[in-house]
Amino acid sequence: MTDTQTHADALDHSIFEADIHGQAFNAQLLGRIFQWVKPHGRLGLISIALACFASLLAVLLPVIIARVVIDGIIVGNADRAIPDFGMIDLTDWLVGLTGLGTLTSACILYGVFTLVCHTVYHIHRVTFARTVLRSLRDMRHDLFQHMEHRPSSFYDKVAVGRVMTRVTNDVQALFELLMGVGQLVGEFIPFFIALALMFSIDVELTLWLLVSIPIFVVVTWFFRQATRRVYRLIRNSVSKLNQNLQENLSGMAVVQLSNREEHNFDVYNTINSDNRDQEMHAIRLEVLYGAFMDNMVNIALAVIIWVGGGSVVQGAISLGSVILFTQFIDMFIRPIRALGQQYNVLFRAMASAERIFQALDWSEHVREPVDPVELPPRLEGKLEFRNLTFGYEPGQDVLHDVSVVIKPGEKLAIVGPTGSGKSTLIRLLGRFYDFENGCIFLDDIDLNRIDSQEIRRRIGVVLQDFHIFSGTVLDNIKLGNPRITRDQVIAAAMGVNAHDFITSLPQGYDTALVERGQNLSQGQRQLLAFARVLAADPEILILDEATASIDTETEQMIQQALKEIMKGRTSILIAHRLQTIQEADRILVLKDGEVKEIGSHVELMDLKGVYYTLNQLQFQDVSIEVQG
Amino acid sequence: MIKSLLRLLPYIQKHALRFWAGMAGLLFARVFEALIPLFVKRGVDEIAAGHEGFDLSGITYDQAMSALIYPCLAIIACVFAQVLVTIFSRTMIRKIGMEAAYDLRNRVYAHLQKQGPGFFMKFSIGDLMARAINDIGLVRMVIAGASRMTLVVIFTAIVGISFMFSLSVKLTLLLLLPMPVIVLVGWYYGKKIYALSHFVQEGFSGLSTFVQENLNGIRTVQAMAQESEEVARFETINQKYADDNLALFTNASLLGALMPVLAGLCILVILGFGTHLVATGDITIGTLVALLAYLNLVLWPMREAGTIVTQWQRGASASARLFEILDSEPEIQDRPSEEFPRMTGNISLQNVSYRYEDKDVFALEDVSFDVAPGEMIAILGRVGAGKSTLLRLFVRLLEPTSGKILLNNHPIDQFPLATLREQVCLVLQDPFLFADSLGDNIAYDDIGRSQEQIRESAHAAALKDTIERFPEGLETVLGERGVTLSGGQKQRTALARGLIRGTPILILDDCFSAVDTETEEHIFAGLKKLRADKTTLIVSHRVSTARHADRIIVLDEGRIIETGSHAQLLASGGFYADLEKAQSQQGHLIGRLADTGGGGRDD
Repeated sequence: MTDTQTHADALDHSIFEADIHGQAFNAQLLGRIFQWVKPHGRLGLISIALACFASLLAVLLPVIIARVVIDGIIVGNADRAIPDFGMIDLTDWLVGLTGLGTLTSACILYGVFTLVCHTVYHIHRVTFARTVLRSLRDMRHDLFQHMEHRPSSFYDKVAVGRVMTRVTNDVQALFELLMGVGQLVGEFIPFFIALALMFSIDVELTLWLLVSIPIFVVVTWFFRQATRRVYRLIRNSVSKLNQNLQENLSGMAVVQLSNREEHNFDVYNTINSDNRDQEMHAIRLEVLYGAFMDNMVNIALAVIIWVGGGSVVQGAISLGSVILFTQFIDMFIRPIRALGQQYNVLFRAMASAERIFQALDWSEHVREPVDPVELPPRLEGKLEFRNLTFGYEPGQDVLHDVSVVIKPGEKLAIVGPTGSGKSTLIRLLGRFYDFENGCIFLDDIDLNRIDSQEIRRRIGVVLQDFHIFSGTVLDNIKLGNPRITRDQVIAAAMGVNAHDFITSLPQGYDTALVERGQNLSQGQRQLLAFARVLAADPEILILDEATASIDTETEQMIQQALKEIMKGRTSILIAHRLQTIQEADRILVLKDGEVKEIGSHVELMDLKGVYYTLNQLQFQDVSIEVQG
Repeated sequence: MIKSLLRLLPYIQKHALRFWAGMAGLLFARVFEALIPLFVKRGVDEIAAGHEGFDLSGITYDQAMSALIYPCLAIIACVFAQVLVTIFSRTMIRKIGMEAAYDLRNRVYAHLQKQGPGFFMKFSIGDLMARAINDIGLVRMVIAGASRMTLVVIFTAIVGISFMFSLSVKLTLLLLLPMPVIVLVGWYYGKKIYALSHFVQEGFSGLSTFVQENLNGIRTVQAMAQESEEVARFETINQKYADDNLALFTNASLLGALMPVLAGLCILVILGFGTHLVATGDITIGTLVALLAYLNLVLWPMREAGTIVTQWQRGASASARLFEILDSEPEIQDRPSEEFPRMTGNISLQNVSYRYEDKDVFALEDVSFDVAPGEMIAILGRVGAGKSTLLRLFVRLLEPTSGKILLNNHPIDQFPLATLREQVCLVLQDPFLFADSLGDNIAYDDIGRSQEQIRESAHAAALKDTIERFPEGLETVLGERGVTLSGGQKQRTALARGLIRGTPILILDDCFSAVDTETEEHIFAGLKKLRADKTTLIVSHRVSTARHADRIIVLDEGRIIETGSHAQLLASGGFYADLEKAQSQQGHLIGRLADTGGGGRDD
């Protein structure tokens, strides 16, 4: 237990809240990303090999135009001393094979090369995308699975949104990065092949053209430096605009009822004009850079004509070779332009990678037994808490020396004010948190010796807030358990009085529910939660009664359903309603984490302690009302 | 489509001069761009001549080179001219796009502030946010991007093709043949790719929704030991997302392959037929090279045809969505400001009925009652009895379908909204707090209020302990980045926000549901003193709250079924008396002891 994170209190969860924006290039992070690419590495390598082949053809296409057609046919002087990379021989071979003219053969060659080149490029791009998509699908799966198993102590401290963006947006950023890598591969391979070709034709002219590269690189670097700050400002102002709008919309009634419209508009307008000014600044920089990168490359044409032209006049190279150089210009500038585009992606992705690995490395979990005890098929349902002391934070005990034995089939109501430790008690029973001081026994087996999944299968928990997963009513009752049949679901729903309202829904059990959907009332949600537990048929039931007020009729239905689901089950009820409490065999009064009283309603009333006072207050209140 | 785009015109007309200057700049940029191949042709021809002359006519190297100076310098000049004109025109047009986005944002914001609850029922916040953010973004792209790109395509085609014609009519005519195919392919795939990318986008939000819902319910998932099942469910969505993405990329890549293949077809025309023309002496080698360059020039923008069409379409539907918002008339028509004497708190309802637009039944039916200044009235009823509807009529968030509401004997719609809402304060059931300090939330209507006033009303709303518990007191920031208040604390903060205003009429919509009875008792004691001479309306479905009032009005299914004091109603043994009995049975026993002020874990 030394190297793993089992203690929430010893961990600093704030790293999940921290904003990681610009993250420097980090080869280690990149290496870790490739762990997910590796299983699909063969496909990736094939894809890159295809890119190499297609690039070679792409570079040879202008050679056919320049050397075969222009030099060979038009000028009529294909100087074989100047490299033609076999294209002239290939054309001659085709002429010999088909008996067609040289020009026709050259055209056929050009057509075939074009077709093959772009078909292979297409296959390269698709296989590359497939490799990346598969790798990241796996990563997303691993990440989701990992987060799915983090314990409650983790989710107590880390906002769900923070975890969600890691699974979605951050993996998406890596997708952009890897696809960007693919784009760069597609641009750089032809660049290097073209460069080699150019060197073999005219070293001096090639060197002249290479001068442009540092210029473009430096310009790109300056542009990134200049825009970094303004982009950050824009990001901030945009998120402020959105926040302001969202808040204004959410609280619109309050805004209107407080006559705050004008003031709020002024605030919004201030952010809006700040944003406009920043955007204007960014536009100026982007336009400057864009126009330079898009058009300056044409200067190279002048260089080629001047330097290359001189060589041609002197007979060092052919006219076709000069024209060949002009055709390569595009291949020269595109990798740099692409690099400029990928620059931001890279840094965003580095930050995302860091966030993803941060989450994957977060190993906080509840302790699982090394050698778990196997539970019998059906438990008796005996529960015992023995000298249980627990606190979420060190030194702040929420439970103090709690001991109680619950007999199989017994119904125990736990009563106590907010903060008395009621919910904590059931959280420990569900093994959502680790505890060290004291024991809990399930059928006399130490809870810490049972696998937590196994425990949760035997204990049905109805939480205050019934969480709806998007899906049908049926799905929500089954909750992914394939062993539960449709008939069992209906039987469960009937058992808890939910059948009537479910069948009155537009598609009955197949009606789609949405989270925070307004299509169910509080009471109906509660009944569905009961149905869920009844269908799962656990040996032990834990109910955290909802405090929300429900109208009187639904209340009656819930009470009835409650009776049904408690039948034959050891039940622990965190009760707020008198009626529920009276349903229980025994009542445990918890205050400040300690057991104050325990016994039946009658016993506790005789005791004239805390429980008695509570009841007195209740009835005293009523008597005041009658008098008033 | 055209119609909704035309509505954007006023936002461009504001900057007409810039717009036309930008457009002219675009045209000039194309001309400079198209001049470059012409000088390349000149250069190539000079090289060819120089090369031949070097061997045959004894032209010296210097002579040959001096003939190259002119085309080289001309190319450089053209490039610089093009860069400058491009910078100018792009800046002009992109700035107009930004200005339009700025104007639209402000207009949408101001317009939303005038809308009533009916509007917000029709449009969800998410929807409105999407319109205000994404749709304005798309409109900006139409103005700054699509319009510019369209002109670039048109100008390039016109300028490029004219130059080509000037070089060789025959060859150009032949080259024009495949052009429509290229445009069509670009158009077809552009649209398809757009549809697919939209699909992928939806897949992504589906993925996000799944993860978010799942994590929100993580406790339930774990409590039911359903982790593996959930991971399996996730995997289906995850796989589908990857598959959809692949479909998108396959199509995009196909377009990326088809375009150069079609362009290759044009190049073959130049190679085959052009070479023939060179041989016959119709054109020079330089012309051939220039034609290849023009082909590239004209084809490049054309492959964007699909993207441009899509941008126009998206912009048009974005514009339509925006104007759907901007065209919706506020449900409540305001009146020009007019002086009214301060209200006394006198209210009179005469046969008021209200029916929601999408419902058949009346939410309120024939409701009449009078309230004298200084009275405290409780309105009690079950969920759906019409209580909240009734309250909203007093601040004109809703307007009665029939009947009359008089305040100070004036029909309520005679007051300007600002005047009405300045004097009638409604504290809503859902206590919405802003991500601001606690103090600013309480003094929300007027940020100029003194600390004394804020403290006073906070105490009246039993917030004293809460404030003292925070180290930063009233300065404590609430919300996502700050402190989260408990339900009861939120309600009491909203109450303080209402109390501070000291309005002649105060309406509390079920503001005590999360407040324990003891605290409620305490608040009422203060409330009665504070509002002795002012009118207070309280809505509740709890008898324990209603009994504090001077008079209780019981609503059921939109009608008044009982009226009287607590004692009177109990004695008469009707609905109220039954409710009292039922509620004391199921009452929240533990509420008595509850420390509702605590922000503890155990809730």
